[in-house]
Amino acid sequence: MVGFGEMVERERVTTAPAPVIAGAGSAAYERHPGVERRTETFIAEAVVAALADAGIHKNEVDGLGIASFSLAPDHAIDLTWKLGMRVRWVMEDSNGGASAINMLQHAIRAIEAGDAETIVLAAGDRMEKREFHLMTDRYNRVARDYLAPLPLNGPNALFAFLTERYGRLHGLEREDFGCIPLAQRAWAGKNPLAVYRRPMTLAEYMESVPIAPPLTRFDCVPIVSGGDAIVVTTPERAARLKGPHAGVRAIRALHNHDQQEGDGIHSGFAEFRDDLWAAAGARPEDLDSAHIYDDYPVMVLVQLADLGVIPDDDVKRYLHKTILEEMWPVNTSGGQLSAGQAGASGGMHGLAEAVRQLRGRAGERQVPDAELALATGYGMVLYTHGACHNAAVLERRGG
Amino acid sequence: MSAPFTVPCCRVCGHLAYPPRILCPECGANDWTRTLADSGIVTEVTVRRPVFKRRQLPWGDWLDQEAVRLAAVHVDVGERSVRIVSRVPEGVETGDRVTLVAQASTAIALPGQVVEAAPDEAAPARSAAAAPESE
Repeated sequence: MVGFGEMVERERVTTAPAPVIAGAGSAAYERHPGVERRTETFIAEAVVAALADAGIHKNEVDGLGIASFSLAPDHAIDLTWKLGMRVRWVMEDSNGGASAINMLQHAIRAIEAGDAETIVLAAGDRMEKREFHLMTDRYNRVARDYLAPLPLNGPNALFAFLTERYGRLHGLEREDFGCIPLAQRAWAGKNPLAVYRRPMTLAEYMESVPIAPPLTRFDCVPIVSGGDAIVVTTPERAARLKGPHAGVRAIRALHNHDQQEGDGIHSGFAEFRDDLWAAAGARPEDLDSAHIYDDYPVMVLVQLADLGVIPDDDVKRYLHKTILEEMWPVNTSGGQLSAGQAGASGGMHGLAEAVRQLRGRAGERQVPDAELALATGYGMVLYTHGACHNAAVLERRGG
Repeated sequence: MSAPFTVPCCRVCGHLAYPPRILCPECGANDWTRTLADSGIVTEVTVRRPVFKRRQLPWGDWLDQEAVRLAAVHVDVGERSVRIVSRVPEGVETGDRVTLVAQASTAIALPGQVVEAAPDEAAPARSAAAAPESE
């Protein structure tokens, strides 16, 4: 770990008072929704839930940001209309698992600049297996022309390569990677919205169905339909609402850091780590919880390590001791691995959970005295690995 | 039908870009040729199982889906290298040297971009020991 010594000397870049996240809400994730439950249904339910959590009426919303893979032919403006909003700011984000934090990065600046006062950011998809595979085969031109014909059928094989590569580098076997799905399943047992809540044993994990070895069923996210949303507003507006709220200390991003020519396990997170923590005026060890984009266990490790949360090179010890034995709060909702991946909502899932933790609204899984949280986004496999990397450091504010 | 596997190569700086880009990520030029990149070492192998069970198949497309053996292949071209995702036949393992061929798929009309690797019978001795660590 480098650079943390000088980092604490640097002044916080953030100008106060910054916008805050005043609420979070989710549509219940479903494995096999009825035909009447469309993508817009899930997004709308999440928006309504987030507004209710914040205590804000839809008529007060003047900005809307949407991320979805399956909203076509509709766009954010169609949802603006269907939700009966009049907005001064609208955006649509196509960056998959990185879309939520990307939208938040834009929304913060829009509110600071006075372009909008209260922005709802929402993501969601109706996503079943067939829709999922049609989506992945046509994800981009390269997926369509260079990967789908192999045939690849989605990113599992690519992340099998990364898992094997990372395991070789750090001396990890399947039972080591399994600490992440096992711990997250234990957290999911406390989340009524998770699709997999039954406790899982190491034996069950080890014997699970191979999908693309070394990946098995429990290393891959269950495909679900669902939606998540947050409400971002000014500190003045938030002061009249029931707190505490989630303040944004810092957001940093790096996209296409290696031109898809790197190994996929040395990420862009490492490149902005020092800048992120300096801007946040905090260190990784100050965190009370981490909400890490978990499309596969290996990516949780890559992000935790590259952002400095894993304190040394001993990834194996961190897995067994910190994550599984001590249950240090990583992905307290159960993450996508247990709660499910609802398309583009996968990027909003962890951010919404971070907000719940900081607002003290995480129910049975509430982390005591949660003051500082990390949320990350990772997305858009262009050829061999995700190209979009971003992270936000959030703090409990007010209340 | 198969042909030697080639990758786009920047005429100005020699950077290899597969799949192709518009501007060279290294020097920014938009001036490409293709260079032979037909020999590589397998760094990882996986077998992707059929995704669907029969009862989940009302739409038919994947009815006869078989297990597919896939590999990441590290291809050296002089001092440069490029990483290819490839289908590999049964028996190819991590560390093996393989020959890459471009194969026009009969099932999907694509301009010769489907990559298929086959064991290189001409150079069986250069196998596992030469496997590069990815980093």
